[in-house]
Amino acid sequence: MRIEDNQKIKKKITVTSVLLYAFLIALALVYLLPLVWMLSVSLKSNRDVLTSPFTPPTVLQVGNYIFAWTKGQLGVATLNSVIVCSSALIISLLIGAMAAFAIARMRLGFLKYMMQYFLIGMMIPVHCVLIPLFVRFSNWHLTNQMIGLIIPYITFSLPMTIFLMTGFFKSMPNEIFEAACIDGCSIYGCFIRIGLPLSRVGMFVAGIMTFVGNWNELLLAMVFISDTAKKTLPVTLTYFVGPYSTNYVQMFAAIIIAIAPTIVVYSIFSNQIVDGLTTGAVKG
Amino acid sequence: MRSMNAFAYPHYRKRGNHMNRLLEDRKAAFIFIAPAFLLFTLILFVPIIQVIYYSLCNYTGLTKPDFIGLKNYIDLFTSDETMKIALKNSIFFMLFSGITQQIIGLFMAVLLTNIKAGRNLFKNIYYLPCVLSSAALGLLWAFLFNPKIGINNLLSSFGIQGPNWLFDTKGFIPLPMWVIGFVALWQYVGQNMMLYMAQISGISRDIYEASYIDGASKGQSFRFITMPLIKPMLVTTLSLNCIGSLKFFDLIYNMTQGGPNHRTDVLATHLYTQGFKYYKYGYASAISIVLLILCLLATFLINKCIKVETYES
Repeated sequence: MRIEDNQKIKKKITVTSVLLYAFLIALALVYLLPLVWMLSVSLKSNRDVLTSPFTPPTVLQVGNYIFAWTKGQLGVATLNSVIVCSSALIISLLIGAMAAFAIARMRLGFLKYMMQYFLIGMMIPVHCVLIPLFVRFSNWHLTNQMIGLIIPYITFSLPMTIFLMTGFFKSMPNEIFEAACIDGCSIYGCFIRIGLPLSRVGMFVAGIMTFVGNWNELLLAMVFISDTAKKTLPVTLTYFVGPYSTNYVQMFAAIIIAIAPTIVVYSIFSNQIVDGLTTGAVKG
Repeated sequence: MRSMNAFAYPHYRKRGNHMNRLLEDRKAAFIFIAPAFLLFTLILFVPIIQVIYYSLCNYTGLTKPDFIGLKNYIDLFTSDETMKIALKNSIFFMLFSGITQQIIGLFMAVLLTNIKAGRNLFKNIYYLPCVLSSAALGLLWAFLFNPKIGINNLLSSFGIQGPNWLFDTKGFIPLPMWVIGFVALWQYVGQNMMLYMAQISGISRDIYEASYIDGASKGQSFRFITMPLIKPMLVTTLSLNCIGSLKFFDLIYNMTQGGPNHRTDVLATHLYTQGFKYYKYGYASAISIVLLILCLLATFLINKCIKVETYES
């Protein structure tokens, strides 16, 4: 009797878990199928897409990618995106880590208010400062130049970076810094020789989030850059769309080119990214 | 504790003083903070003050701003039909995203924390669209919801005439807004799921075991243990959802461009059209202020209305 009961329970559990996994796999397909489908469309010809969009391609049309890369300006746009995002990444990480170090470790009253000041930045949408920023940058002849895009990108990445990095600096044991002090290390040395190397995980996560966020940013890039040769990836993508545009296959090739780097980086580091983000968020 | 140690061990006091002197070094703190502070002030806070001033001006970019008082706001709320639609759509979008992403995100988080194998795999798959470009995904979904090709092609092979997903204009909230809401849900629900998962896995197993010993069912333990303990995360995620959906631009711009006939315009697209297609800087600034006030109001209300009790854990 007892054993039977146990078996019953075991069976029930397996039935629910089978249903659970079936549901989770179905949901995963909802996430993955559109991406896979996009890859398949990007390798078809326009005629195939219109007649049978959901079958896999018979002849691989690699020409779509070549067209998107050269004629569609995707090559130039990728280079621009890399330049803008890397510069913004390096500078915002450095500046953000410096501010976060002071906020997390130094004992001065005004630093608490500084944190609040930076966190307000998280609540303000970019759209609200778009017009004055555009006017000012045109007066300074910074629009239509990459530096004019890099500066706002640095600024809008700072709240997230400071927020994450403060969590990481706070979690470091005090003793390390005390030991360094005894050995005659200055506060700058504490930051460069101890703080930075020990917060590599935090820097990595903040860095990826900054990079991805800027890589995907559309509105500022659309407004600030009008020269085709200086446009970034998301802006270039919008040229493939239009109510009467029929260049579907090239559009999808372009989309694949634009999101492939993110997917590759994410697949390699996804565990670290997700864990790092959540530790920062839960601590804060 | 510190002072006791200092009396007992003189060398500790010395060490502490040296440490304190370093940590209270004003000059160093200024050097550390200054670049971030200056950038933030110049690029974010000064422009906000400017945008308030511009919103009170007739300003087209060609001439100097000309002070006209509240006229922009009066026009905005009395004679601008698109603004009414945009405001309605933005608020709909905020409520829709807030509610669906909260419920489904929490549901997914609970499911994933309860399975044993493959938790990370599923988590990473569901979070993937959050890091992808909404501009690119918007194009993908616009194609899938095309009147003839994507989903409707699939439906027609079953003999069903699919609706005009992105071009329908009927109803208080037209169909395209629901479609865009669904796409936003698909893309961003992973963020809520991930944050809730982190919070739930932080709850001690002992509490659950104690509740099962006391005879609580799974549902009861969720209601009386999980729910109260994840409340702090509710404030964070709900604020993120609301602000995120208020400033929504990329998906709409690439899926419908505000059309058909402005029926899917939101505040962000309206601002973009007025400011950078018609160059009405003053008028667009007034829209920015409305958007800013909505964002601050949403954050304020969420923080005020959701009481967070802290529990010993």
